[in-house]
Amino acid sequence: MAIWIDSLRLTIGVNLLLILGLLSIWGRNFLQFRSKHTLGLFVFGLMLLSENLLALYFFQFDPVLHVWFSAEMPMIAQRAIMLIRIFETIGLVFLIWITWD
Amino acid sequence: MEGVLWYVFTGTRGGPNRVRIVRALREQPRNANQLAEELDLDYKTVRHHLDVLLENNILDRGGDGYGAIYLISDQATQHWETIERISEQMG
Repeated sequence: MAIWIDSLRLTIGVNLLLILGLLSIWGRNFLQFRSKHTLGLFVFGLMLLSENLLALYFFQFDPVLHVWFSAEMPMIAQRAIMLIRIFETIGLVFLIWITWD
Repeated sequence: MEGVLWYVFTGTRGGPNRVRIVRALREQPRNANQLAEELDLDYKTVRHHLDVLLENNILDRGGDGYGAIYLISDQATQHWETIERISEQMG
């Protein structure tokens, strides 16, 4: 049963979109303001983007890890990882809410 | 207040226009219509920014409805140095 892993990939996709939205705003503001604060937000966004891209790569493309995550990881571990991603998604939704304003 | 100012002005999509609004109001208090004209912005956009700035205690409003005049709040005046720095960085 790879349903949790499929949902996990979906959550990562959603997270990536939200992060790209934030980066577009923070990046533009950084170019305009060039301040420590705008740089901090932008770098934070970049790191979070890298984290999610790396996760997507592990779950979806890496020849060894991909198989292991899909077939061999116990259900309880799949759910635990899923839960962490969902918390990240909720956090990002709120961040978009205050930033896309 | 410092953190609020930085995020409202430099962390959000509408930040740069909010800086322009606050600059214009520092010169002299105005109503939404005058601001829209002065800054060449859509009236509804200006109203939205004004609401955000009011909500964050950066502006005060005098009067009601269409003619309501907006001015820099006491709290924001106390932190004017920060707003100035943000504004300078925007160029």
